[in-house]
Amino acid sequence: MFLVHLWNYIRGYVIIIVTGKSVERFINICSKRQILLWDIVRVDAESATMKASLRGFRLMRPAAKKSGCRVHIKEKCGLPFFLYRFKRRKGFKLGLLIFAALLILSASIIWDIEIIGCKPEMIPQVMNVLNVDNIGRGSFKMRLNPKNIATKLALNIDGIAWAGVEIKGVKLFITIKDSIDAPVLIKNNESFNIVAERDGLIKSMEIYAGNPLAKEGETVKKGQVLVSGRLESKNPEFGSRDIHALGKIIARTWYENSQPVSMVHTKRLKTGEIHETVYLRFLDSRLKISGGDVPYEMFETVTVEKPITGPFGLKLPVGLTVEKNSEIIEKQVDLTLEEALAVTTETIKNDLMKMLPKDCRIVDEIVKQYNGDNDKVYIQVVFECEEDIAGLVPVLQ
Amino acid sequence: MKRGIYRLKGAKKDKKEPGESLGERLARLFEIPGDVYGNRPKVTAIGRGEVLVENFRGIMDFQNGIIRINTNNGIIKVTGDDLTIREITNEEIIIGGKISNIDYDA
Repeated sequence: MFLVHLWNYIRGYVIIIVTGKSVERFINICSKRQILLWDIVRVDAESATMKASLRGFRLMRPAAKKSGCRVHIKEKCGLPFFLYRFKRRKGFKLGLLIFAALLILSASIIWDIEIIGCKPEMIPQVMNVLNVDNIGRGSFKMRLNPKNIATKLALNIDGIAWAGVEIKGVKLFITIKDSIDAPVLIKNNESFNIVAERDGLIKSMEIYAGNPLAKEGETVKKGQVLVSGRLESKNPEFGSRDIHALGKIIARTWYENSQPVSMVHTKRLKTGEIHETVYLRFLDSRLKISGGDVPYEMFETVTVEKPITGPFGLKLPVGLTVEKNSEIIEKQVDLTLEEALAVTTETIKNDLMKMLPKDCRIVDEIVKQYNGDNDKVYIQVVFECEEDIAGLVPVLQ
Repeated sequence: MKRGIYRLKGAKKDKKEPGESLGERLARLFEIPGDVYGNRPKVTAIGRGEVLVENFRGIMDFQNGIIRINTNNGIIKVTGDDLTIREITNEEIIIGGKISNIDYDA
């Protein structure tokens, strides 16, 4: 029944009042002429209201004439009459068109990219590949060919076993499977010596293959052969055989740096003045809403993103970006000796940390203070570390 | 032969309903239900608020409390309160309202 009502509403219908001596006759003639009438209600002895389709109403005139009834329209209902009101409103039509266009446009672009299944470090690489082809949020779905993108990803990124690209609605799903690193191959047919990569004191040696030339507790120089890949036989007649020496040489190493202590320190201070710039963000472009140029000479910027979250946790690409710029001034501060020492030590340590190799473990740190020649106080920091110093060098024939 | 046919016709005439046509007689012979073939009215009452009459000829009277429908089998009178015609087409009429009686040959 609901469908019938809906259909009638879409087609449009009229509510009419039929007045006359023989309303029944009118209804009979209408039904014989295939004019659909519904919801007929008797009002009084000479009139009744009923509903009729637009087509039916047009065909009604002969029936009314024959039965001697008069037909008046009481109300016009339905979509055609509703739309008729908007016929002359050009702005409305334009708005409707713009709405439809926007809807189609927004449904045909990528709003979000989801990368699944790879290490976080790999995401920038994936994005780089996408950027080369200008694929990103806002690119048209029609232009994208998932197969091509997948092939490009697989070809251009190392360490990927498989890449899958799928467009679901307005989202671009990129699934990536990392490949397992190939094991390090030991070239058994070539011969190598193990030499010290840097100066140190050997703590422990773990030799899998080769002839050890150094002992635990021995101080070694950089480049010194620790394990020889040449095996001499006891009987000199048989000569020697070259193999690939293998082993771990854990040694104590020292890293040292010294700097003069400066009693003056430039400090960066916040003045407390904050300047806010608000942007309206859409996809990756943004539009400044309020706040002009930053009036400070030096400032620190903190950016706060305020995304608008849609239903179902969908992140909409529209949002506000607030940049808080706090003013900074540099001040020369005279330090006490203790403060100056602490500051210098900290800088030296930071510098040293950058110099240390990756697999190095700090065992001890020594901070020394001494007077230099030009009346300056120096600070020396020594890091005592433990690391594997084994390096491979081919055996000379 | 001729007499035989006469007798057959006569014999049949007593049994059949008034206005039964050849087609209807055939339909009865092959046990086709009367509402599938023929123009006899079919009255369906759904609950108390709806009466559907198929195969009607036309409405004779339509008041708030009474609706009389002309059919091939005579007049069907539906009485009740606040009667309306929900829908009327060439073949069927749906009467709504609080129905109290459905009478034949009123």
